[in-house]
Order: sequence, then structure tokens, then C-alpha cells
Amino acid sequence: MRNPGPRRWRWMLLVALTAVLTAAMVACGGDDEEGGSSAAGFKTVTIQAGQPIKIGISSVISGDLESLGVPIAQAAELAGKDVQIQGFSIAFVRKDDGCSSEGGVNAATQLIQEGVVAVVGPICSSSVVAAQPEYEKAGITHISPSATAVVVTAPARGTPFATTLRIPANDGLQGIAQAKFAYEKLGARKAYIVHDTDVYGTGLADSFAKEFQRLGGTIVGREGYEKRTTDFSSVVTKIQQQNPDLVYHSGFYAEATPFIQQLRRVLPNVKFLSGDGVRDDEFLRGAGKDAEGAYLSQPSPPAPGPEFDTFKKKFQEAYGEDPSDSPFTAEAYDAATVIVRALQEVAQKDGNNLRIDLRKLNEAMRKQKFAGASGPVEFGENGDNIGKASIEISFYVVRNGKFEPVQ
Amino acid sequence: MFLASTSFWLDQMVNGLTIGSMYALIALGYTMVYGVLKMINFAHGEVFMLGSYAGFGILVAFGGESIAGPMVAVAIAVAMAGAALASASTSVVLERIAYRPLRNAPRLAPLITAIGASIFLQFLVLDVTSAKASFYPRIFPGGSIVIGAFRITYLQLFLIGCSVAMMLFLSAIIQRTAVGRSIRAVAENRTAAALMGIDVDRAIVTTFVLGAAMAGVAGVLWGLFFLQIRGSMGFLPGIKAFTAAVLGGIGSIPGAMVGGYFLGLAETVGREALSTIPGLNFPNEWRDVIAFSLLVFVLLFRPTGIFGELVSRRA
Repeated sequence: MRNPGPRRWRWMLLVALTAVLTAAMVACGGDDEEGGSSAAGFKTVTIQAGQPIKIGISSVISGDLESLGVPIAQAAELAGKDVQIQGFSIAFVRKDDGCSSEGGVNAATQLIQEGVVAVVGPICSSSVVAAQPEYEKAGITHISPSATAVVVTAPARGTPFATTLRIPANDGLQGIAQAKFAYEKLGARKAYIVHDTDVYGTGLADSFAKEFQRLGGTIVGREGYEKRTTDFSSVVTKIQQQNPDLVYHSGFYAEATPFIQQLRRVLPNVKFLSGDGVRDDEFLRGAGKDAEGAYLSQPSPPAPGPEFDTFKKKFQEAYGEDPSDSPFTAEAYDAATVIVRALQEVAQKDGNNLRIDLRKLNEAMRKQKFAGASGPVEFGENGDNIGKASIEISFYVVRNGKFEPVQ
Repeated sequence: MFLASTSFWLDQMVNGLTIGSMYALIALGYTMVYGVLKMINFAHGEVFMLGSYAGFGILVAFGGESIAGPMVAVAIAVAMAGAALASASTSVVLERIAYRPLRNAPRLAPLITAIGASIFLQFLVLDVTSAKASFYPRIFPGGSIVIGAFRITYLQLFLIGCSVAMMLFLSAIIQRTAVGRSIRAVAENRTAAALMGIDVDRAIVTTFVLGAAMAGVAGVLWGLFFLQIRGSMGFLPGIKAFTAAVLGGIGSIPGAMVGGYFLGLAETVGREALSTIPGLNFPNEWRDVIAFSLLVFVLLFRPTGIFGELVSRRA
């Protein structure tokens, strides 16, 4: 090496700068929504004789949240199994969105290129927010089985996206219910918030904080973390300093597991409350005895009714597992059902081919109203499921390694 | 703004030293390989991850949660040795098939194969484990030592102690053995070393083995402390350790150690200290920003890092 000079440091600097910018964007809470675009770009799709009608699925197929995403994809696929529309079968195309913003956009681009007529997903709010403009441009209606962030149907640009629908109730409801539960049922007055810095974690924490303070509680501290964080020791030290009576967490089980383990080493008795991203069997398996006593909420868990039972039976027959073990499976089944039903209404024979007007498909999807496996399905103007507006948020507590409903 | 107590700062310092030990151990691999080959082995984070998995397998074979009494010490020692071995073997294979054929290629080529190897190993493990996390048995005795406001758990003490011991061991090998001498010679000038009759290939493989063994041990320590391990676990500690290596002065062994601890403390104590300045607040989500900003500042103003003289003299 005879040429030391500053030259060889340049690429390292580049790597470093990129890392700083990425980290800063995450730290600032990514609300990087670009301003408005015009109306949705609906087209008409023609499907050749012998070809299937393609429905996309944007979910987490690999990686840390696989055990959340795969059952959702499986449940969605059930709704189109053995269905014939004017003699055309339905094929599902899975794309991995990794629960990230970039992943959501990539999956959207790939699905649009594949020629899907509608999409189930993305499953995470951050992916939905990033992918919305893509779906809108292409005129492809997508329906999320699990994105609960308020911003999904109330985007920063003001006008909701015509092509975005969702099945679950939004976090506005969940956060408010969590705050009430914490204040009234658990008697908490001082809460410490620890949240994933993505759209879901931040949004849920915001609505919890607002309501908790309105009720008279105090937020004694707030810390965020990035996905894949394992070291929570300095957060725990800070919590210990403030001595809250409740630790509120919003995020996913992959990070909630090490967090609660490290929290319990120092504060074995502080109350812990989290949301639907953590109500997963993986949390129980990983956190073990440290999960005991943790409170978790979930909007609109599948109501035990005939529709849910039918779905459950189908799911068990197809995959040999209980769909209730994984959240949002019934919602995914309903999401795909909305698409299938709408297709049945609008798909038109054109000689031997099948023509689908995507605008009509969008309208038909928005008009669907039925009792689904996850509860009532009916869409409001902004794409929220107003059938869920009055549904209670359920609370669970971990006892003996199981989620027990709190009465 | 709150005025923190002494115990708060001491706790944060222990947190910083704990994570810093692991950064330092991993950083050694980056810095040594850079020292001899002038390349960044980006698959090093995955070598660390594989070590962690190997240690996990050994602990499970010893009986997992049911290990008790003196067997705990035996099991952990065997797990660390096994992890070091597994990481070292991985590294040797990587060196042989991914780096050696490109030794005289442009500098960018091995960098790209390193990134490829990193992605390959990460997704291989994710696939094999169905992307599910595995959990280390909680066998390490709980409890802590308290001296006034100072408090450290046995586990943290063990982590820091182990890392320091490993680093002293490595320094001794590099400074006092014939193998170490040949590594230093190759780092200084490969051609000249070859002309002096040093087996360059062997020196390079030894470098990979030593660095990987450190990462393997770090993997077990990580598992014992954080309990949760998964295929994607190597990524973040990997780039943090790379940052630590650059901070310390890439190519310098004491630099990597100091850089590791420095980074660990900057993320915890440093971040909290910045937050005490009125008007500033850096909650936990800023720790990566602070870490990588440090990297940028070092590269801008002192690209050779804290212990950089050695590198510049060598170059």
C-alpha cells in the first residue's frame, strides 16, 4: 500500500453517511408521506382463456416476523380455493414485504407487474403507508388484514386513498381502549412508553399517550427503538430511574421478547401492557416466565360465531393448525373474501376471455357488506371497516404460558 | 429534564461496557483481516451469529435449562470453545472459497463477495430455522454485586471479564508467538514477508481463525445475556463492530478494543449526557444515529482513528 492519502477512506465515509441518514430517518419517526397525487389510475384488465385471475398477497414471508405473516397468507388463500368465476380459477401471488417501507413498495411494484387485479395486504402499517401511492397509481385496490395505524386511512396528504381498504379497527380505538384499561382497570398513573419507531408503533403509542394524559395519568418517559434491537439495557436503566407503575409497549414480539426479559431482571413487578403486535405464540415461547402477567390488547379478535367456525374448520383441514394461534388470520380470510365476492359481481365474459374493470372492482369491494369470520365487514368512505367501529378491544393477560382473556 | 442520580450513571456505564465488550470482541475480526488483507470482511457478523448458534446447540446437548451446579461452568466453557471452533471453521471455508480466489483482484471484488457471503449465511440460517428465534437456556446464576451506588450483575461481570481475557489472550498470541509475528509481517508488507519465507496463506488463514474465534465467543456471551438468537442477529452487531474498528483505527488491535468500549459507552452514557444539555433530548432511538455520526466524524477529521498512527506508518 504505497498510496495512503484520503482516497481509500472515501467509500467508508459514504457507507457511514448512509448509515447515519438511515438511522436519523428512523429516529425521527418516518412520516415521509409525499404530498397528494391525483385520482387513482384504474384500468381494465383482460384475462386470457385458460389463465387464472391473479390476486396478490403482500405479507412477511421470510424473516423475523414470518410467524405472523405466513398464516395470514395461508388464510387469505383459503378464500379463493376451488372458487370459479365464469370458469376462471383464482391464483394467489405471494410477495414478501418484510414489514418495511421499502419492502412494501417493492412488493407492490412486483405485484402490479404480475398483473394482479387486487391485493390482500400489506400486513404492516409502515408497508401500507409506503405502498399506498403505488397501488393508487396503478388502480389496484388493496385491502389490509392487519394494518391498524390511524394514518393508513387518514394519510398526511389529507384525502384518503381510493384504493386502500382495511379489515381491522384502527389504533385510535386500540390506543384509547389501552389507556382506559391502564388507568381504570390497572390503576396506573405513571406510564413509561417504549415503542417501535415505525408507523404502527409510533401511532399506537401516540394515541395511548393522548388518552392516558386526558384521563389524568402522567407519561414519565418515552423511548423508541428500531426493529432488530436486542439491547434494551439502557432503556431499562432509564425506566428504573423514573419508577413508573406501568410500562407501555407498542411494537412487535420480536423486540418485545428481549425487552421484557431485560425489564424483568431489574423491575420484576412493574405492570406491562402491549398491543396486538405482541399477542403471538412466539412471545410466550420466547419470553417464557418473563411474559407472565403481561397484559396485551387486540382489536376485534375473531368472534366465536358460525362464520368463524367455518373458517377455523377450513383452516385446520388445509394446514392442520388452529388459526386462533396467530393474529389476523380471520381478517385475512375476510379480506380475500371481499375481493372474491367483488370479482364475482364485476367480472365479465368477453368472448373466451374475462374482462375486469378495476374501477368497478374497487366500487364493488367498497360496497361489500357481510358477516365475516372476524366480525362484520362494511367499509366507510375512507376505507376503514365501520363494521368494526363499535367492536370492543379485548384484553388478555399471560397466565401459565397462555393468553387468558381479562374480564 | 431530570437530574439523574449517581447510580443511574453508573448503571448506564455498566450497560455501555457490557455491550462495548461484545462490540470489541467482534471488532477484532474486522480489524485483523483489514490489517492483513486491506478488505472488510462483511460476513463477520454472520460468523458471530453461527458461533452463537453452535454455542446454543452445545448448551442444549448439555441439557438446556436443566444444567445446574458446577455443570453450568463446564457447559458454558465447552459452548464457548465449540462456538469458537464453529466460527473459525466457517471463516476458513469463507476465506478459501470466497476471498482467496480474489486476493489479487481489485479491492471492490472481495468486498462484494463478502456481502454476498453475509446474505447467503444469514438467509441460510433463517431458512433452516424457519426464521424463528431460538432461546438460550437461562442457566447463568442471577444476582449482582453492589458496592454503594455501583451495581453489576454476575452475568455482566462475566461478560466483561471474559472479553478482556480473550483480548489479552489474542494480544499475547499476536505479540509473543511465531504465528503472531508472521501475521504482523504479512500485515506490514505481504511481498516482503513472502520473500522472507513466511507462508502468507497460512498467516492469512490464521488471522481469519483468530478473529472468528473471538466472534464465536462473543456469540455465546451475546446469547447468555440477551437470550434470544436468530438468523438476522449478526447484522447490527456486525456494523456496530465495524464502526468500532474504524473508530479505534482499522488495522490496529488495541484500537478495536478501545473502539468497542468507546462506542458502547457513547451509545449509552454519551447519549444520556448529551440529553442533559438543556434543549436537547436523545431518547433511545438516537443511539444508532449517535454511533454512526461518530463514524462520520472520525472519517472526516481523523480517518486513521484513535490508534491510527500504526496504520499510517504501515501504509
